[in-house]
Amino acid sequence: MKYGLFLGCNAPAIRPDLERAMRLTMPELGVELVEMEGYACCPGYGTFPASDEIASLAVSGRNLAIAEERGVDVLVECGSCYSVLRHAAHNLRHDEEKAKKTNELLAIDNKKFSGTSQVRHMIDVLYHEVGTEKIAQSIKHRLDGIEIVVQYPCHTLFPSDVMGFDDPRNPHKLGELVEAMGAKVPRFSREYQCCGGAGGFAARSKKEATAFAKKKFDAIKAETNAEAIVVSCITCLMFMNNIQTDFGEGWETIPVLDYNQLLALCMGFDPKQVCSIGETLKVPAEPREKFIEKITKAAVPG
Amino acid sequence: MIDLAEANTGLWKDIVTEDMGDIRKCYNCGTCISGCPAAEGNPPLLIRRLVRMVLFGLEDELLDDETPWACVSCNQCMEMCPQGVKPFEVGLAIRRWQCREDETYIPPSLPELWEIGHTQSVHKQGELRKSLGLDESPPSVVTDHESMANFRKMLKETAIVKSAPYMFPDEEE
Ligand code: SF4
Ligand code: SF4
Repeated sequence: MKYGLFLGCNAPAIRPDLERAMRLTMPELGVELVEMEGYACCPGYGTFPASDEIASLAVSGRNLAIAEERGVDVLVECGSCYSVLRHAAHNLRHDEEKAKKTNELLAIDNKKFSGTSQVRHMIDVLYHEVGTEKIAQSIKHRLDGIEIVVQYPCHTLFPSDVMGFDDPRNPHKLGELVEAMGAKVPRFSREYQCCGGAGGFAARSKKEATAFAKKKFDAIKAETNAEAIVVSCITCLMFMNNIQTDFGEGWETIPVLDYNQLLALCMGFDPKQVCSIGETLKVPAEPREKFIEKITKAAVPG
Repeated sequence: MIDLAEANTGLWKDIVTEDMGDIRKCYNCGTCISGCPAAEGNPPLLIRRLVRMVLFGLEDELLDDETPWACVSCNQCMEMCPQGVKPFEVGLAIRRWQCREDETYIPPSLPELWEIGHTQSVHKQGELRKSLGLDESPPSVVTDHESMANFRKMLKETAIVKSAPYMFPDEEE
C-alpha cells in the first residue's frame, strides 16, 4: 500500500510533531509514504477558491498531477486540504470546460491533470485499508479503562456525495479507530458540533467563536469522563488545543491529540518526537504530559 | 430603506454560474443557518440572507458585506440545503465577485502563496523539525527553485494575478 503524503501548510510549519507521528506510524501499518516533491498549498479556501476559481483548480490540479506522476493516491490528514483537493478532483473530473482551462494553465508548468489519483483522508485509509484489527495488533500500550472523545472533522463529512467515507448523520469511524486501541469513546450531546476553527469565523468573531467552542467543551466535561480529545484534522487539533487558553481562569485543559499521535504513543514511539508541541502554544503542558505518562505506563498486551 | 427599483436585477448572473446550484430555488427556509458556526459570529454570516441579496440585486449592500469571509467551510449547509442551492458555493462565489469588483478584497494570503507557495512558513522551522527527527523542510515547492519558478509562471497567467499584478512582484535575484 502506497500513498503520496500531502502535508499542506500547517502540520509541517506549526505542528511538525504530527507530521513525525504520521511518518512513523503509517509504515508500521504497512503503508508506504511517497513524497510529493514540489507540492504547494492545497490552496486554502480563503485564498484562490475565494478569489479565482480556475486559478484554484490549477493549484489543486498541480498537486494532484504530482501524485499522478508518481502513480499514487493522495493521503491527507488536514480536513481543509482534503475538502479542497477532493472538491477540485470532483470538479475537474465532471466539468470538461473547467478541466480544459485548468490544464491550459498546468501546461505552463509542464503538468497535466488526468484524474487517475484518488484523494483519501487519513481516517478513511486507516479504517478501510488498514483496518481496526491490524491497528489493535500494532500497539504496545493499550488504552483500556481510558475515556476519550473524538472530534469528527466536518470537512471530511460534508457534502457526503463528494467527501463521503463515513455516515454524515452518524459518523463513527474515527471513534471505532480509537476503540480499537481499547479506549472507551462516550457519546455526548454536542458530539457532532463543528470546532469552528477554520476560515474567518474565529479571527473575525473571537468572543463568539470562543463561546461556541466552550459549549462543546462544557458538554464534554459535564457528560463524559474524557481524559483527552482525539481529532484527525490539523485545524481541529490546533484550534481545540489553543482555544482552551481563552476559557478563563480555573479551566482545566483537556489534552487534544491527533489520531496518529495517539497511535504513535501506543506504538511506543518517543513522545518528545510525536506529541510535544502543546506548551509552545501557551497551553499548560502538564495535562498532556500526565496523559502521555498514563499511556506509556499502560499494559503491554499479550 | 432599500429602493428595489435601483437594484441590479442581473446581479445573480454575475455571481453564480450555471454549473452551480440554482439559487432561484431557495425558499428561505434557514436550514443553511441553523447548523452554521459562523452564523453565531458578530456580525453573523447568514447565507439565506446573502442569497436574497444576490437575487434582489442589492449590489452596493453586497459589496460592503464582509460576512462571507467568516465561513469556516464546514460544508454543513451543502449537505443540508433541501433545495440543492449549494449555499457554501454561493458564499465562495460572492467572495470571488467581491474580489473582481474591489481589489481590496483580494486576500493577503494570495501574495504570500505567490511568494512561498504556502500560507505558513513551512521552510522556517528547520531547528524544530530537526529536533523531532524530520527533514529541515518538507518536500515543498518553496525549497525547490525550479518548481517555484514554474509555479509562478503558471500563476502569472491566472485572471486574479493579471488583475492586480503589483501584488505579485517577480523576485529580484
Ligand atoms: S437551506 Fe437552501 S433553501 Fe434553505 S434558506 Fe438556505 S439556501 Fe435557501
Ligand atoms: S460552509 Fe460556511 S456557510 Fe456553510 S455552514 Fe459551514 S460555515 Fe456556514
